[in-house]
Amino acid sequence: MNLGLAEIRRARLRFGLLTTAVALLVFLVLLLSTLGGALVGSLTGALDRLDAAGLVYAGNARDNIAASRLDPSVADAVAAVPGVAAVGAVGTFTTRAPLDGTATDVQLFGFTPGAPGAPTGLSEGRLPTAAGEVAVDGRGVAIGDTIDLENGEGALTVVGLLRGSQFNALPTLYVPLDAYTSAVTAANPGLPFVPINAVAFDVDPGADAAAVAAAVTEAVPATQAYTRADAVARIPGISSISQSFGILVGLTFVIGIVVIGFFFLILTVQKLRAFTLLRAIGASTGSLAATVALQISVVVVAASAVALGLTALALQGLSTGIPVALSPSTVITTVVAVWLFSLLAGMLSVRRIARIDPATAVGSR
Amino acid sequence: MTESVEPILRVQGLRKTYGEGHTQVVAVDGADMTVDEGEFVALLGPSGSGKTTLISMIGGLLAPTSGTVGLGATEVTAMSRKELTRFRATQVGFVFQSANLVPFLTARENLLYVASLVGTPKKDAHARVDQLLEELGLADRAGNLPEQLSGGERQRVAIGRALMNDPDLVLVDEPTAALDTAMGRSVVELLQREIKSRGKTGIMVTHDLRMVEYTDRVFEILDGVLTHVERPSALEH
Repeated sequence: MNLGLAEIRRARLRFGLLTTAVALLVFLVLLLSTLGGALVGSLTGALDRLDAAGLVYAGNARDNIAASRLDPSVADAVAAVPGVAAVGAVGTFTTRAPLDGTATDVQLFGFTPGAPGAPTGLSEGRLPTAAGEVAVDGRGVAIGDTIDLENGEGALTVVGLLRGSQFNALPTLYVPLDAYTSAVTAANPGLPFVPINAVAFDVDPGADAAAVAAAVTEAVPATQAYTRADAVARIPGISSISQSFGILVGLTFVIGIVVIGFFFLILTVQKLRAFTLLRAIGASTGSLAATVALQISVVVVAASAVALGLTALALQGLSTGIPVALSPSTVITTVVAVWLFSLLAGMLSVRRIARIDPATAVGSR
Repeated sequence: MTESVEPILRVQGLRKTYGEGHTQVVAVDGADMTVDEGEFVALLGPSGSGKTTLISMIGGLLAPTSGTVGLGATEVTAMSRKELTRFRATQVGFVFQSANLVPFLTARENLLYVASLVGTPKKDAHARVDQLLEELGLADRAGNLPEQLSGGERQRVAIGRALMNDPDLVLVDEPTAALDTAMGRSVVELLQREIKSRGKTGIMVTHDLRMVEYTDRVFEILDGVLTHVERPSALEH
């Protein structure tokens, strides 16, 4: 005889409404977390998923890879620093290309095949190894498609598809450095030389990437080296965006938990007479608290299932221009956090139950 | 030679006071009472006389200021809070005013829940519920919620709930308070029959003198002082 489940069965409308309210809150948290994560990911993915221990920028680039200009020979100077195992030049610029039938801004990255700085996150195909080949992270592109960069910068055949490797929230194209150099030259005729934007480096086994980065900054004039994680965290505006989404998600979460706590407190107060009777006839505070905990769990699980469906539908229907996918870890973290904090909020109800004086059952009408 | 049997319920010098100093109120003043196994006694008294306080202390719901309560081998007043909760579930059956059933449980579930408190095996609990509801004339109302039952039916469910765990003592608090005379008589008659047929011990708190005829003995309480009477004082006038 389960008291909590029996009450849910008998008060379907009340618990249905409560579940709907909780589902909407979980949906909001899931959607905001997913969109926030997707936005940050599409702004930073290219650097975050770069196959390198660290990056070297020009000293005056203010931590912005797009503003960094380095002579390609800097790569040799970086390679000579003790602790650096290998280096690779990385170049990037924004251009335009028809994707999915529409001319759109794209971010072009040039990397040295087989050297640090190559993208990871390949979901299909392979990385380009020769001029005329490209790996793409963007919608509406398939292996074998041809992409014509504007201004005669070159026709590229798609040989690989990437996920989570975008930059500046734009479709991102990865080509070998030679092809990148050709594209830059075509776009900027008359350039005395094509600068690179960064030098990606790997460190010797056992070496500390942060220490090596500091050594590079020290040893190579007019450069600033960072570990990959530092480079990502220092992308201009990223910390503000992350914080803003964090505040939105956090506030929604806190409001949701408080609402759940109060909902169950109201339900408990409405049942005080019954709970007093049950305490009088021998029900322990623990067993009544377990009833509330079970009901919270049932509501959160049902609400999470509904919220998951709603989020999946919303993400299908939303056109954000950036790749958005519901990650299992976001779902699990959100649901477990909502469940645990809801149980914590349920302590308000348990506290009220613990204060019940069973003697008041006698003589009350 | 007759063997003397110790009373199952022993109340000695039971006292309950509220407040201190000149604001102190004595709710029960040194009550002494013994009830034999199988006896059904009435506890009479006007409102505020202390009868509810007394029955609450006997049932382990309220701690006395001083004095002792013993039920069989159990020293009720020596128990911890946790032990008292268990004591109320296993050794005492309560019938409160206005039935006081759990509103979202059916008649059957109200009884089954009590069985679950003491871990009665499911099969045994179901069998006992069926038997009790049958005896109480509620077999066809087993699936009804309290709001779908009449006042008398609700009180009968409460009686079934009180007897569900086969308690040593049944404490009944104003069982006729919410019932008309005929229904009240029928409920108390049923209560007496069920308690007697099972050899249980029962105490019924009431201010309704007409219900006294169903009990073996009468105790009266006035201003916290308990006395055993042959004839309720109200009937003297």
